[in-house]
Amino acid sequence: MFRVMLYSQWKWSRLIVLLGSVAGFALPIISVQGAARADSSPLQAAELLRTVQSWGVLYPVLAATLGLLVAIASWTPDHRGRHVYALVLPVPRWRYVLLRFGAGALLLAAPITAVLVGALLASWSAAIPAGLQGYPVALAVRFALAVLVAFAVFFAVSAGTARTAGIVLALIGGVMLVQVIANVARVDLDLVGKLQLVVLNWPGPLAIFTGRWMLIDV
Amino acid sequence: MCRKRWVLLPLGLACARGLIGQELPRLQARADSLAREWRHAAAVADAIDSLERARVFVGHDTIRVGALTIVTNASPLPLREAAVRAWPLIDSVYGDDARQLEERPYAIVPVDPDTTVERPPRHNGTEIPWDQDVASLTLLLLSTVPVAPADTALQRWLGGEVRPLIHADVERAGVYVRLVTAPFEASRRCLIGDISACRDALDLFGRGDPVARWYRSARERRSVVLNTFTGYFDRGTHLATLQACANGSDSACTQLLRSLPPGGLPRPLTHDARTTLVDVALHLGGRDAYHRLAASVGLPIADRLAAAGGIAIDSLLSRWRAEILASRPTPVSLPPWGLWIALGWTILFAVFGLRSSRWRVN
Amino acid sequence: MTNAIEIHNLRYRAGKAFEIRDLELHVPHGAIYGFLGPNGSGKTTTMRLMLGLLRPLAGRITVLGDEIPRDVAHILGRVGFVPEQPHLDPILTVRETLAFHAAFYSTWDWSWAERLLRQFDLQDRQPFGRLSKGQKGKLMMLLALAQRPELLVLDEPTDGLDPVVRREVLSALLDYVSQRQATVFISSHLVHELERFCDWVGVMDDGRLITEVPMERFKNGIKRLRVSGAPRTPADGPFVVLAREPTNGSGETWLVRDWEPRMASYFDGPGVSLHEVIDLDLEDGFVELLRTFRGPRA
Repeated sequence: MFRVMLYSQWKWSRLIVLLGSVAGFALPIISVQGAARADSSPLQAAELLRTVQSWGVLYPVLAATLGLLVAIASWTPDHRGRHVYALVLPVPRWRYVLLRFGAGALLLAAPITAVLVGALLASWSAAIPAGLQGYPVALAVRFALAVLVAFAVFFAVSAGTARTAGIVLALIGGVMLVQVIANVARVDLDLVGKLQLVVLNWPGPLAIFTGRWMLIDV
Repeated sequence: MCRKRWVLLPLGLACARGLIGQELPRLQARADSLAREWRHAAAVADAIDSLERARVFVGHDTIRVGALTIVTNASPLPLREAAVRAWPLIDSVYGDDARQLEERPYAIVPVDPDTTVERPPRHNGTEIPWDQDVASLTLLLLSTVPVAPADTALQRWLGGEVRPLIHADVERAGVYVRLVTAPFEASRRCLIGDISACRDALDLFGRGDPVARWYRSARERRSVVLNTFTGYFDRGTHLATLQACANGSDSACTQLLRSLPPGGLPRPLTHDARTTLVDVALHLGGRDAYHRLAASVGLPIADRLAAAGGIAIDSLLSRWRAEILASRPTPVSLPPWGLWIALGWTILFAVFGLRSSRWRVN
Repeated sequence: MTNAIEIHNLRYRAGKAFEIRDLELHVPHGAIYGFLGPNGSGKTTTMRLMLGLLRPLAGRITVLGDEIPRDVAHILGRVGFVPEQPHLDPILTVRETLAFHAAFYSTWDWSWAERLLRQFDLQDRQPFGRLSKGQKGKLMMLLALAQRPELLVLDEPTDGLDPVVRREVLSALLDYVSQRQATVFISSHLVHELERFCDWVGVMDDGRLITEVPMERFKNGIKRLRVSGAPRTPADGPFVVLAREPTNGSGETWLVRDWEPRMASYFDGPGVSLHEVIDLDLEDGFVELLRTFRGPRA
């Protein structure tokens, strides 16, 4: 059952997975190009760190994009068929959703592995100045977690009905409305800011995306 | 002010007698000593004058924790708690010399945080808004310890007074990053264990041409000119030389660096690196380490630090380097529990997905 | 005889416009049950309710002895369903679609699936999305049959198919039913088609089941009678008068249900005479039934 589900989702998301894998493999290698150049000086540690840090911004972007697209691709065949076919299959709904989730998560292993391999290659090939160290495994683990969190969030959103989506949107809209009213009434209330703090800081769900994504660091 | 005059008179006489027939370093040391005493006397006199004046209007309070003494007016400021936090650090740095603080009190004048409220008459104390918390007061006490100021040679080398390290780990971690990232051969060789390079990087033997000592390669010299001084040299007579330096002429770069005013040449390691070295020496040397450091005026800085620490300078540098390496900051990545939290969120959202209704066909 | 499908007091509402009220439906085991009704009458909704795709407001649905929705996964493993629209994954090829489907059914019969594949002349490697309407219909029927279900629920399976394809699909269906004695619940508005092989018929209109009878009784029971001298208000007879219309003179035409030849004696009274009993085919009967249901009763 899982094999056919995996195959079905592979057909829908193969382009995303392939492009994501290429990007995931290339990103760490490109980020240390400055260090790997033969003419570079080992004295340029600060410059290397700056370069690695600036490229590091792309890891969470790639993770979020992959999570989003693979989650959408996981549900596309069902959405297209208005879920009729999926719902007449002789499996409990939770099991069917779990199959879809598992297949999507497994497909994401490809870009995650690509990031790991790329990061290992980059760390190995780069002339890392003394005092700095490569963190390919830590980076890949973090990327994996970010991808999984993004996938799970978007998967849950996609799995919901239009009514659920409406409730979520209404909640967000309600918060915005309260904030606007508070601003107009000059009430000292920063609801959006507080929400942002909760979501983006540990142990918030999106905290994994924040902070520095350094392949090479002190 | 009358008290100040009484103190200054014998000091002036002593100064005049001592000047005759002494050599320059001793004269400099003597001048430092006199200046130090003068500043001390002036500070004490000012504080006493100010507080005596203030006492006329409001009650005063003297807070003592160890030798740390704070003279202040009654206020909600948590000065005692701050003193309790600050004193162990002060004591650990100055040792027996911290006893000076019994005679050199902090003079703190609490003021209304509302700047529109009229302030009390002018006085010689540190004005602190009374809404400050313990942490910021502790920081204030540690950064303004009123011990006798160090001599000018030590201050010049250190880039300020000897002060307790407030966040020693953070400062040592900062030095580690600087050692790793400073674009200078000296600091990098120091990082990988060359103690003589540490001496150069920390500017411990101030003899010879600093340009040659600190920037050993043409690449470094060119880099420091182009990255730090382009704006400074980009005019007048230096413009052509700067152009030549940019085009790869090492002699032009060297010439530009040597033309900088004294103290203008950036040292490979910054103030915090030297501060941490002093801190190591003082902690190794025991309770009279600071006294030995302050008393050894006229000796080279390396010898003074060695005297303070009670060990050879190379051993001291090795210890310092070991402490810096041990303070390597953890790279900003996933906290240990971050893995479980991220997995937890993944599972939670997956469960939300699993709850997807089968009643979705309409 | 137990029923393969039993529906009691089913209520369902979709918006304000459509409602199924107190639906009672019984499909005997082994029957081929034709489910008739005009477009929008609620046939597809009833089927979806029966398979647990929609949540009823009230009522009880039992399929193959188990309850919907409690035992839905177990029931669906024994039911072959051909939906009105082909809702399959458009990028999977025919072969991949079969493999996907087979993985979910323990009763899947690969050899029969291969035979049907050849019989229907379907290309293995063609993606489902690129199949013609007829090919899609055949593939849907293949999927439903190859899982060897006890019950087939077919929602207008031949709708839009050309006669040749329709014949192929129905032939495969009947072949399977004759082998397996499976129950078939088939909806269609092609009345003639159902007339040929259904043994039960249910007629639905506006969310209500108008009638549910054996096909023979439905076909033979609805008659048009030409009578004369009939009383204005007929006494309770053995048949149901669905409609009565005056003809020339004193004659009338009655549309009656549940007619049997022995009932001619009803018109044996003085001044009353039955001139003619006109047979109606299924379609005429169906149309007349709807007409009388929608219009004022006799």
